[in-house]
Amino acid sequence: MKILVTAKRVPDPESTIKVNSSGDGIEEAGIKWVVNPFDEIAIEEALRVKEAQGDAEVVVVSIGPSEAQEQLRTGLAMGADRAILVTGENLDTSAVAKILVKIVEKESPDIVITGKQAIDDDSNEVGQMTAQLLGWPQATFISELKIADDKSSAECTREVDGGMETISVPLPALITADLRLNEPRYASLPGIMKARKKPLEQIEAASLGVDTTPKIVIKSMAPPPAREAGRIVESVDELVTALQSEAKVL
Amino acid sequence: MIEWSEQHILMRDAVRRFVEAEIVPNLEEIEHGDTPPYEIMRKMVRTFGIDEIARARFAKQIAKAKEQEAAQAAQDGDPQGAEAESGTSKREDSDAPSEGAGDAAAMQIIPVIELSHYCPGIVTAMGVSAGLTAGAINAKGTVAQRERWALDLLTLDKIGAWAITEPGSGSDAFGGMKATARRDGDGYVLNGSKTFITNGPYADTIVFICKLDEGNAPRERKVVSFVLESGMAGLTQTKPMRKMGLHSSPTGELFIEDLRVGKDHLLGEREPKDGASRGGAKDTFSTERSGVAAMALGIVQQCMKLCVEYAKTRVQFGRPIGEFQLIQLKLAKMEVARMNIQNLVFRHIEMIDKGRKPSFAEASAMKLYSAQAAMEVCLEAVQLFGGNGYMAEFQVEQLCRDAKVLQIYGGTDEIQISQIARSLLAD
Repeated sequence: MKILVTAKRVPDPESTIKVNSSGDGIEEAGIKWVVNPFDEIAIEEALRVKEAQGDAEVVVVSIGPSEAQEQLRTGLAMGADRAILVTGENLDTSAVAKILVKIVEKESPDIVITGKQAIDDDSNEVGQMTAQLLGWPQATFISELKIADDKSSAECTREVDGGMETISVPLPALITADLRLNEPRYASLPGIMKARKKPLEQIEAASLGVDTTPKIVIKSMAPPPAREAGRIVESVDELVTALQSEAKVL
Repeated sequence: MIEWSEQHILMRDAVRRFVEAEIVPNLEEIEHGDTPPYEIMRKMVRTFGIDEIARARFAKQIAKAKEQEAAQAAQDGDPQGAEAESGTSKREDSDAPSEGAGDAAAMQIIPVIELSHYCPGIVTAMGVSAGLTAGAINAKGTVAQRERWALDLLTLDKIGAWAITEPGSGSDAFGGMKATARRDGDGYVLNGSKTFITNGPYADTIVFICKLDEGNAPRERKVVSFVLESGMAGLTQTKPMRKMGLHSSPTGELFIEDLRVGKDHLLGEREPKDGASRGGAKDTFSTERSGVAAMALGIVQQCMKLCVEYAKTRVQFGRPIGEFQLIQLKLAKMEVARMNIQNLVFRHIEMIDKGRKPSFAEASAMKLYSAQAAMEVCLEAVQLFGGNGYMAEFQVEQLCRDAKVLQIYGGTDEIQISQIARSLLAD
């Protein structure tokens, strides 16, 4: 069994994000970069499937700048067997999905697991687009994964409004991981030592023959308005009036 | 080495996340309550597979030691071949750092730095157990003794204590030592009291250092080490002592009264030929002293992180205090100390990578500078925070209390100074 997982390079959620001087992106200097937390959950799930199956291979893929090697090493240190880095600039979600399709076609995995979304742009699109382009079944926002004994299908529990939904998808399938699927492990010391020797293949996006012209252009970015100091009101009436006329929420 | 490698940073980030998720939320309990740190230590060692690595390394060392023992047994007919000293020196050679070991050393140092951001005490408790105690057994014990006691300490399945200090002998550890061993049939009877013993209250395995009483004057007696186990008749382990800082490291007293042990508990299972068997303890000190620099670096890094953030956000007289030159001076001096300590740590890693060990004087110099610098940085950090710095909530207060011990344990500053000077003046 082969499992392909994604690892997007994103700013650490603990970092302080500032808009850059041209106003169309973020200031990248001084930012700490990490594996997208939802992708980390995807990697963990792939490793658990591998541990349960015994003879599975986990391939971790990143699409982005060459520095994303660091995130792939994290995936390898956690226990993935090998890594593929597709380098390219200015790739939007549709470009990333098209590139991922090429990698899937080349690798023919039984399952592709991605995070449900990346925490930088919160698009929540790559998994779904990739499944669509491949013509594969998809199970999104899953919180539990069970591979059938004959490995022909997977039972996925999805978090939907107001409850849980359990669906069965034939393999190969694409799955996107939600927060409660698992708690990712820490890379261990032996894992980190071994990661350096594991294969990391680099491919240029341009060599894959897909049109990566962005369909989305970021026109401008602005930080959320600074929070103003609160105010203590004297009475309930005053509060209601303020909520109606000033905050305009009632 | 001028920077951490990508691999080192992977390790650092992983440990940092562990510390933030597992230790920081429980910091109050660990640092201000009476919760022993051992469960967290074990969790950390298992999470990062440090126990796995220790087991593999230990198996290799034991295989090698068994070969040496077999070779020595073959020589036993030769009266000069059976000397304990030659066995010891061979062992030291096999444990000397091999070239290219810098990476492995860095991987051990990084968790020390990261833990010291919050809990220098945990580092101490861990270091004494897996470092000093297991180290002493590995350096002086027979293969059977190493297999019996050392591995469980390296994996933290058991907790160890290394008992040298006594109420009447601190810096003059060997000279003033009153603890004794008397021969009794096939074994020995031990007596003595030890104090300031890290892990003393909870230790499962204790290396008890004492003098062999052959009816001679105390100053002339040979130094011997025994391995004691918790629960032995005649051994009392006290409750943790109250202290200034380092609360995450339990410290206690040990009372040994007419404790009978077989020869199998005597480290090395043979008495030394003369009184010059203190080399083992000296080696232990040397290792301990190098570790202090890594702890100092962790403490200084954390103080700086907290101080820089505070200097940017704390507003007085209508401006962030970082705009005042007196605050800037403090920050700049902290950065100089941080760079110096980091350079010492990097140099130490580089030395190990080249197959060298720091000399006793070098290790002492490294400890002296790092401990003093860390203490100065901590005091300045408290000052920079002002009233907040004096309050436990802002953490610099804890680091300040913890840092003080670096100038005291493993040899006081004064002892480091005299040892550095002695090596300079030796001919």
